[in-house]
Amino acid sequence: MGNSSNTINPWPFLLPALLLCILFFLIPTVNMVVLSLTTENGYGLDNFKLFFNTPHLTQALYRSIILAISATTIGSLVAWPLAYFIVFCVNKKWRPLFLLAILAPFWTSFTIRAFSWQLVLSDNGVMAWFFELITGISVTLGILYTMNASIFGLALFCSMLTTFTLYGALVSIDIKLIEAASNLGAKPLSIFKDIIFPLGLPGWMAGIFLSFIVCVGDYAVPTLLGGGLKPVLAQIMLSILKGTYDLSQAATIAIILAMTVILCGLPLIVYGLLRRNRLSV
Amino acid sequence: MNSLIVNKLMLSFLTIFFCFSLVVIYLPILVMIIFSFNSGKYQTLPFREPTFEWYISLIADNSFINSFFTSLMMASLASIFATILGFLAAYAFSKAKVPAHALLFGIVVCPLVIPMILIGIGMRLQIVSIGIEPALWLVLLGQTLYVLPLAVINLKNRIDKIPKSMEEASISLGSTRIKSIVLILAPICAPSIFATILLTFTFSFDEFVIAYFLTNFEITLPIRIWTSLVTGFEPKINAVGTAVFMFSLTLGLIAQFILLFKQTEIHKNRAQ
Repeated sequence: MGNSSNTINPWPFLLPALLLCILFFLIPTVNMVVLSLTTENGYGLDNFKLFFNTPHLTQALYRSIILAISATTIGSLVAWPLAYFIVFCVNKKWRPLFLLAILAPFWTSFTIRAFSWQLVLSDNGVMAWFFELITGISVTLGILYTMNASIFGLALFCSMLTTFTLYGALVSIDIKLIEAASNLGAKPLSIFKDIIFPLGLPGWMAGIFLSFIVCVGDYAVPTLLGGGLKPVLAQIMLSILKGTYDLSQAATIAIILAMTVILCGLPLIVYGLLRRNRLSV
Repeated sequence: MNSLIVNKLMLSFLTIFFCFSLVVIYLPILVMIIFSFNSGKYQTLPFREPTFEWYISLIADNSFINSFFTSLMMASLASIFATILGFLAAYAFSKAKVPAHALLFGIVVCPLVIPMILIGIGMRLQIVSIGIEPALWLVLLGQTLYVLPLAVINLKNRIDKIPKSMEEASISLGSTRIKSIVLILAPICAPSIFATILLTFTFSFDEFVIAYFLTNFEITLPIRIWTSLVTGFEPKINAVGTAVFMFSLTLGLIAQFILLFKQTEIHKNRAQ
């Protein structure tokens, strides 16, 4: 009996998916690396030197990183009280419903969500109107088309995403663990510090990592809420491909963006590996 | 259990925080829905007379209707392709001995942890360098790749929970491998398969970058909306936004309901 299970040949099942990934993902990635290293006279790092010597490109890279770090940080902090509330303050039966209430807008278009914030934040939008209604003073908000508006828009997204991953970690904590700690005299604060926080950490980290990836590569929120005057790297890539069409420059920017993700994600990955080793020991 | 972890003060803080977050999350969408029924060209309050003007002009606008049908077709095909490929791959990863398991699984789910714009750019540069014209069928394959990781992960989670003995029993009674997959495994996974189709459909329907990079003329709805947003405001955008929001929300919620509640059901069965 046990033998028959080993005779499944995985390749017919695996090949279609794998082929798609190789053709549309692996080969283009290799091609992109090659393109970024291609210069007028053979191969070299000239494209990268050019990138780092062009102030408006390095500034865009800087903005991308600041934007992603700010939004991810805010989102990850907001996620704790939200996930904590859903998991520990809501009846077990209703938990998925409360989670859905937070996640529902998540399933709709990124662009439309960013656009809907324009209606609220713009100088003659709902917020300014509401402010005037209460105080009687007409103000120019000046929020829309700034970096802060971008950070705000992405932070909202990050908090939803991190709440989702953190929820997954918190909901699987064994209640008996908490009850035991409490029976032995642990106060809520130390239960949080010694049980809930360490066990929620993997879910939290996963949320932070995914948030950062989305933020670094996003073009919609920076365009619709941040405006086009101080572009981030993703906006510049979009305009190159639809404008000047300098392919090796586009490839170079893409590689730099990928490196940014890898470099910023590295501490998290290393942490995850170390943690896994420690747990298995 | 509540009182062990959360005292009264914290409970009230968390409740207020949660409610406040809901307001922040839903406020702009509510505003957009209200504006979609507001007559007057400018997006300013106070509310004027209610009107269906924007919805009517939307239906009359061929560019929106055409792009909607393009998106519908792309998303339907991409979600079905991804679910089929995903199911097969998930089966292999779950039940067969795959050499270099971690590496191959990594390759298949990798598109999930890479910014979409990089995948889109990579494909665009690739087709340019081998001289293929941007076209709709490329968008279809690109979007299938984009939602494939979701399908594989979702379905693998489900297939992992099905004991091998089910299939082995049918095979020892004379069924073939294919037959036992189609007649036993697939029906057991049916709710998850349905949820996966819905989920991948929603993602593909809203996908922008790949469609933007891989086609020139036959545009999808997100591209049409994007063009209208960056080139100058049309009041009917509120109506489109509302319609798309409702559409995606309905599909997404159904999918999420199935996944979340099925999961709790499985946990329950296990506990018994």
